[in-house]
Amino acid sequence: MFNKLNIWYCSSLLVSLIVAIPILTVFTSFFDTTSDYLILLKNTFLLQYIFNTIFLLIGVLTLTFVFGVGAAYFVSFFSFPGVSFFKWALILSFAVPAYIYAYSLTAFFENYGTAFTILTNLFGEYEYNKYIPKFDGSFGSIISMSFSFFGYVYVLTRASFYYQSQNLIEVGKNLGFSSKESFLKIIMPSARPAIVAGLSLVAMECLSDFGTVSFFSISTLTTGIYNSWISFDDLNTANQLSFVLLAFILILFLVENYSRKGAKYHQPTKGFKPIPKIELTGTKSLFAVLFCSALFFFSFIFPVSQMIYWTVKFPKYFQDINLLSLNMNTLLLVFLSSIFLVIFSFLTNYGNRVSKSKFLNYLSTFSISGYAIPGVILAVALITFFSWLSDISSSIFGSSSFKSIFIGSIFGLVLAYFIRFFSLSFNGIKSGYLKINQSMDESAYLLGYTKFKTFTKIHIPYLKNSIFLIGVLISIEIIRELPITLILRPFNFETFATKAYAYASQDLLEAAALPSLFLIFWAALFILLTSKYILSDK
Amino acid sequence: MSSNFLEIQNVTFTASKVNKVNNVSFKIEKEGEIVCLLGPSGIGKTTILRTIAGLQTVQSGKITLKGKTISSSDFNLEPEKRNIALSFQDNSLFPHYNVVDNINFGSKRNKNSKFKYTSADLIKTLHLEDLTEKFPHQISAGEAQRVSLARSLMSKPDLLLLDEPFSNIDQSLKDELQLNIKKVLKEMNITTIVVTHDSYEAFYLADKCGIILDQSLKQYDTPYKIYHYPNSIEVVNFLNRGILLDAKVISEDSLEQLELGIIKGKFIRKFPKGTSVKLLIQPEDLEHDDKSKLKLKIVDRKFRGTNFIYTLQTKNKDLIPVFVHSHHIHQHEVEEEFGIKTPIFIDHLVCF
Repeated sequence: MFNKLNIWYCSSLLVSLIVAIPILTVFTSFFDTTSDYLILLKNTFLLQYIFNTIFLLIGVLTLTFVFGVGAAYFVSFFSFPGVSFFKWALILSFAVPAYIYAYSLTAFFENYGTAFTILTNLFGEYEYNKYIPKFDGSFGSIISMSFSFFGYVYVLTRASFYYQSQNLIEVGKNLGFSSKESFLKIIMPSARPAIVAGLSLVAMECLSDFGTVSFFSISTLTTGIYNSWISFDDLNTANQLSFVLLAFILILFLVENYSRKGAKYHQPTKGFKPIPKIELTGTKSLFAVLFCSALFFFSFIFPVSQMIYWTVKFPKYFQDINLLSLNMNTLLLVFLSSIFLVIFSFLTNYGNRVSKSKFLNYLSTFSISGYAIPGVILAVALITFFSWLSDISSSIFGSSSFKSIFIGSIFGLVLAYFIRFFSLSFNGIKSGYLKINQSMDESAYLLGYTKFKTFTKIHIPYLKNSIFLIGVLISIEIIRELPITLILRPFNFETFATKAYAYASQDLLEAAALPSLFLIFWAALFILLTSKYILSDK
Repeated sequence: MSSNFLEIQNVTFTASKVNKVNNVSFKIEKEGEIVCLLGPSGIGKTTILRTIAGLQTVQSGKITLKGKTISSSDFNLEPEKRNIALSFQDNSLFPHYNVVDNINFGSKRNKNSKFKYTSADLIKTLHLEDLTEKFPHQISAGEAQRVSLARSLMSKPDLLLLDEPFSNIDQSLKDELQLNIKKVLKEMNITTIVVTHDSYEAFYLADKCGIILDQSLKQYDTPYKIYHYPNSIEVVNFLNRGILLDAKVISEDSLEQLELGIIKGKFIRKFPKGTSVKLLIQPEDLEHDDKSKLKLKIVDRKFRGTNFIYTLQTKNKDLIPVFVHSHHIHQHEVEEEFGIKTPIFIDHLVCF
């Protein structure tokens, strides 16, 4: 055992231990004592929390299925004006977090909001408020999340549709299937694992969402966890609610994993022949253009326009908001997290590769489970754990400064991001490594190159695109991330997300516009930089 | 200390629990010899190469190279320290380097040696001139195989291991490449072990051949002896170049076969008079003679360019192959009678 304790084992073990912190904390807290708040909650609102969570989930899954599969269907199989533009433009929805979409939606439709101003300017003064629909509460949340999350279903389904081979369609025709029957009986069943995988990601995002439901004051399990901690100072109740939410997520995780296993049977084979696109004309073409345009408009142009409108209308916030500091803070978090994530992902992946150890493989599989833990749970669990550790340390060493290293510090924040986004980074490097055949390493050894030289001469140059892609994806996630940053950040440390949230929660939506706009700008820029990979059909 | 260049002593090569080659022993006496290991697919030939290269360990036995032990049950010299190059069947070219960079990757080892070949020489010899700037995904499998070979040669290894080096190469190019590669290997004096399932390839390239069947090395000898003096029925069946017919030994230099009559020749192994044996008849053993009274029915005829192979059927339903020069005065059709020159004389009689 001890001769195996090399750098690969140590790094894999360390990552697993770090990821285990929130999971173990939540599970052990299940047996801890709580304040009366939990009993109160059980008797009053707990069922409502669960009901609201499920209601949101069903609504968001239904809409994202229609948006995502519909868009993927049009873009993959048909040729119509603007199809090449829509192919990548639709992924820009990733740049708009659901909570910022919620701010735009409210700002536009609220009493005397933007819609009211437009109507007044066009048709003169009138009581328009009575006729303008209100998008708030659960309905507003479902709309906001659906437009923000449908990209997951779109990207995965499109890749799956792309890999439907023309040969399969031709076999279908040979067996007497019409085009409609081919779609329903051949294409859709083949794409099912991808659609389920996309919907599972949407479901996880929906269950993890804090910013949107909090803004619309919907009581869900996530807001329940946050309130238990911030309003009632009851970490154990927060952790017990987390346990319920994690159970939901575990089910989704299993569904997603199950569907992915099926997906391997849908990889293209040597005889792969792409399906030629059908040229749409007349009303069919118009319908496709309208569907994709509406989706692009509502998912990206609408929230961005609303934010630009307010930023221009209220220029004083340019002076009130320290943009340089927000940029620097965001950049700092992105930089530090990316460095740690990439280094440890390399160490664990390379360790798995050279050692071929099953134990290391199990550790890595466990380590990537962090992405399933919602930000709120992660943050609260880390606070619980480090408070407990601090209590132990102060009782032994008489010092309680331990807590401040991890809670309310950049270090704690980077640690939480590390747990949450390790799977993104690990899987990114892993998929790059899968393309390097093991015999390539062996060829290098046999040509006289050591393991280290093989790493620097073969792996690093080959994986440089993967490293770039991972860096950018981590950046997008961290820029958009809200609950972890909100709960664990140092005092007075703001990012675009927390600044926008702070203003929005004070009903100063016009002030939230500027940081929101910057957030969308950075995220969109990073998405465009990686669009080639996101839409690489793999 | 052993004076052999490479020596494999009682090594069991293990690919998996069920797939192994047991207790293998052979040696390459002189530097620069080419050895071919022949056997059907999946028998463990690649495992032998990987073990010699140090990519897999040995559980029993010993491998020595230039008198030094490189593998034994308690020692395994790291692959990068062996100076043994292995050209993989899947080529394993580095996808982010172009062809010339891939080839030059092999030059790390030969910097200090008196290596007279440059990458340009190898590129020319292996017909890679038009590919130098291309990346692995832009070339065919056969071209990639040649690049991989050039990269291995560039490292000027003590021992070169080639895993099915011509499996993806067109027949039209194969003969020329085999000629060129043999010439290069001999000029560079590089000791080589080639794994293949193609006996023609092995017989052309090799100084010595090993036949691997049923988890063991059945025969290790020169190609001529392997072909003409196979040591077991398994080797005969694997080479598939003849038929075993029932016969009876009637004297020190002859035997009798029911359909073919008396066959004379020199026995490679002595059998007592009266022994029933299986006699190996190879396509070149029987001669065609239209005037002969000994006739058999033709059931198949294959045109092979330089010759025809007629398949003749005996009353016992045995099928005997016979070579006939393709410039033979007239062709025989299937179902016709085919005359065999008598008396039959076979230079060496192979019986089991």
